[in-house]
Amino acid sequence: MTEFLLEIATEEMPSSHVKTALVQLRESLVAELLAQKVDAGEIKTYGTCRRLIITGDLASRQEDSEEEIIGPPKAAAFTQDGSPTPAARGFAKSKGVDVQNLEVIKTDRGEYIGIRKVEKGIPTKDLLTEIIPRIVSFLSFPKMMRWGKSSFRFSRPLKSLLCLFDEKALSFSIGGIPSGNTTTGHKIYFPQKIRIKSFPDYKKALRNKKVIIDPEERKRMILSHIERKISPKKAELHPDDELLESLIYDVEHPYVFLGSFPEEYLDLPLEILSTAMREGQKLFSVVRGKKQLPFFLGVADAYKDSKSLIRKGNERVLKARLEDARFFWTQDLKISLKGRSKFLSRVVFQEKLGSYEDKVQRLKKIVAYISDKIEVVKEKKYAIAAAELSKVDLLTEMVREFPSLQGKVGGLYAREEGNPARIWQAIYEHYQPVGLDDELPLSVTGVILSIADKLDSVVGVVGIGIKVSGSKDPFGLRRYAQGVCKIILEKKLSFSFPRLLDKVINVFGERLQEPKDLLKKYCQKFFSDRLRYIFERQGYRYDLIDAALGAGIDNIYYSYLRLKALDNLKESAQFAPAVLVVKRVNNILRDQLPYKINPELLMEKEERELYTTFCIIRDNVLPLIAKGDFTKAQRIIFRVRSTINDFFDNILVMVEEKRIRRNRLALLQEVSKVLNLVADYSRIVIEG
Amino acid sequence: MSIQSLIMDFQKFWAKQGCYLAQPYDLEVGAGTMTPDTFFRVLDKRPWKVAYVQPSRRPADGRYGENPHRVQKHFQYQVIMKPSPSDIQQIYIDSLAALGIDLQDHDIRFDEDDWESPTIGAWGVGWQVMLDGLEITQFTYFQQAGGIDLFPVPVEITYGVERLEMFLEGRDNIYDLNWSDDVLYRDLRFREEKEFSEYNFNHANIGMLRKSFQLHEKEAQQLIQKDLLLPAYDICLKCSHVFNLLDSRGAISVTERVKLIGQMRNLVNQIAQKYTSGESSS
Repeated sequence: MTEFLLEIATEEMPSSHVKTALVQLRESLVAELLAQKVDAGEIKTYGTCRRLIITGDLASRQEDSEEEIIGPPKAAAFTQDGSPTPAARGFAKSKGVDVQNLEVIKTDRGEYIGIRKVEKGIPTKDLLTEIIPRIVSFLSFPKMMRWGKSSFRFSRPLKSLLCLFDEKALSFSIGGIPSGNTTTGHKIYFPQKIRIKSFPDYKKALRNKKVIIDPEERKRMILSHIERKISPKKAELHPDDELLESLIYDVEHPYVFLGSFPEEYLDLPLEILSTAMREGQKLFSVVRGKKQLPFFLGVADAYKDSKSLIRKGNERVLKARLEDARFFWTQDLKISLKGRSKFLSRVVFQEKLGSYEDKVQRLKKIVAYISDKIEVVKEKKYAIAAAELSKVDLLTEMVREFPSLQGKVGGLYAREEGNPARIWQAIYEHYQPVGLDDELPLSVTGVILSIADKLDSVVGVVGIGIKVSGSKDPFGLRRYAQGVCKIILEKKLSFSFPRLLDKVINVFGERLQEPKDLLKKYCQKFFSDRLRYIFERQGYRYDLIDAALGAGIDNIYYSYLRLKALDNLKESAQFAPAVLVVKRVNNILRDQLPYKINPELLMEKEERELYTTFCIIRDNVLPLIAKGDFTKAQRIIFRVRSTINDFFDNILVMVEEKRIRRNRLALLQEVSKVLNLVADYSRIVIEG
Repeated sequence: MSIQSLIMDFQKFWAKQGCYLAQPYDLEVGAGTMTPDTFFRVLDKRPWKVAYVQPSRRPADGRYGENPHRVQKHFQYQVIMKPSPSDIQQIYIDSLAALGIDLQDHDIRFDEDDWESPTIGAWGVGWQVMLDGLEITQFTYFQQAGGIDLFPVPVEITYGVERLEMFLEGRDNIYDLNWSDDVLYRDLRFREEKEFSEYNFNHANIGMLRKSFQLHEKEAQQLIQKDLLLPAYDICLKCSHVFNLLDSRGAISVTERVKLIGQMRNLVNQIAQKYTSGESSS
């Protein structure tokens, strides 16, 4: 095996670009090597904002390939005494070999003469020279650019290419940049060229020139340096994984510094302090418990701050930002949320859906409805009061400065004004969850307001004809719908979802353009798809998900209970036989019109038995379904199996006599109806 | 250490890089990008190198002289190089060294910050340059302007003069900066900030400005028909400043904003299209 190393040096790329590029590089190189039959060990990638690195051990050449070229049949190639015929000579000549080199090749059709040619594998070095420019040119980034006089597109301008195989430079060019065996160190400390011989040499040389190429190592450095800085203060980092992730790639050599700010700013809430630190300067808050301390942590692209200029510079900038934040805080509080709310009519939510004032009026109706349906009537007036104030913070200076704090700022101001917790918390939490892993609202009022706000957006935007498809989701409707589902599932909220949709559609009055029934259908499908996504992410079997969702999403929480029941019982001995029986019932009913059952026409023993069993089961299962106890409901259904089997074994359904045939079909239809209330068993895959 | 010595250092540095040193444009603009020395010159295929100071007005940023770092007029040092040189980042780093900043002692970062101006159908890719946490420069590779793919690709470097000087002098208050050895920023600008804030927020005549916007818009339209693209563009700049004043008066509703921006974009795009299609007698 021979070592391969590629480094693509660029100007600073966004961290998301580095990550996607490293994945793409690895996948495409592995695929190319496989296609070219070049044996390879583990392929590893590293990177910083200024370089993409890929390395691994490869075979020095492609595998040899053997080719057989078949000529005339052996019988026609040699005379009796074994000397070659003109046919054999002609064949040999046409292939440029000597007649003695012809071999006998056995085929299905008999013995032939021919030649075996061994094609020697192409040296990997030559293959790489062709493969590398191709895969690098095909890298795709969320946004691409051109520079200089070239039409080549990349994440950011290419600076240099280092490519070694067997310690020798490979020669090619990409976007006008020639490859070679040199790179540069840290952009400020060591911008000079350095020559590289091998990957170990590269790693070591760059470490000396203040570049740590491994993101994992940089992460460890940052975390351990942070620990060292704050443990003497008995303090903790206010966790911010997103910030940490971006810093890992932003710097080539992390240097952690601890700075401070005047205690007078500690009057501001932690949310505002930490946002002021993160946005712009990318600083971490330092806390004890959940209380901000007058310190912050920064990560510089440096290895020293011997004159403390980095720390002092950041302190000065932060102080100005905190001063601004405090100014906004005191200015904003001069006008009450209520007093400010009359200006909501000036802020457009969506042109066709009206202003935020319109939205607030809708939210008030929706939260009232939800409060009734989930039976928290005592919370209702608080939820309505929260809805009333929920969007006012869009008019504050603080949210104009820090848009990511919308909701939170409104909640904090509502708290300052002395509103009860059920109101301010609801405002504070009503955008949550933003992502699927984000925290959910803690307060009941927050839960209600969050569901209402998101549903209003989904129904409204879809209702004016904006559809979500593929990468097109300009309003982030998928995220809203997932948020709604997530809340319902985790808070175990049981209510009729279609009726809630009706309510939301109705509060829009005449604003929506789509016909109501189509809109409702679209929304149900949309939410069903989001549920499927959530369930798949939780690792459930896809056919069980299909079966659970196939029963409809009349009640979103129940869809989960259905799935859970299927998942609980999938290993039980009765599961597969029961599913097969249900499938049998469904098969016979396919393409049949619905008929009405007449118990008096049931004459045979087995059909009467099925009917009695069915009645007992129906009366037991329906209440269980209403309660959401799908596991028990299924266990009961499993017991019908033998009765149904007996029925099929002894009764011919498709008899001549129409009355009897239809009555038997009607019986099976009744049975099937109940079974399908539990799950759509026809979607379940039974192996073997 | 003063603003004027900073400007002189930059003038020397960028002249040495082959830039022609332009003088500030004589109309109100929101940024150096909007002056003809940038807007028109990035559109065509000819190489272009220019550097200049541009006073930039953002009426809504006024704070009556009371905020230590927000002002309704500030100074940008604007550089355009087309095509973008392959070592432009190093040249930029050298330009900071030319001001006497020893970057070995600092943290300089190029943070993703792509630029977009729907008004002039333009976008670019680049960074905000952060020096010890202070944003000192916008660094952008222009990709499109007036809806046209730019080729060769120009790079724009826009330094905030006051920001840099605050960094160099270690000041917390913009008004304490030295303009020269014996003239303070306060002496030159404090009264101006106070009075203009008063004007921008409370006294600019809304009715007159509205009328003025529409008159200028019509005028620009006529000039475009006559292929007088440079004067037409000047008139667009006037519209833009009038728009900003109306905005700081809080006089623009959301629907009106969309409409007015649409009118300006329409003008600017027509100008850019005509300018590059060679219809004009350049």
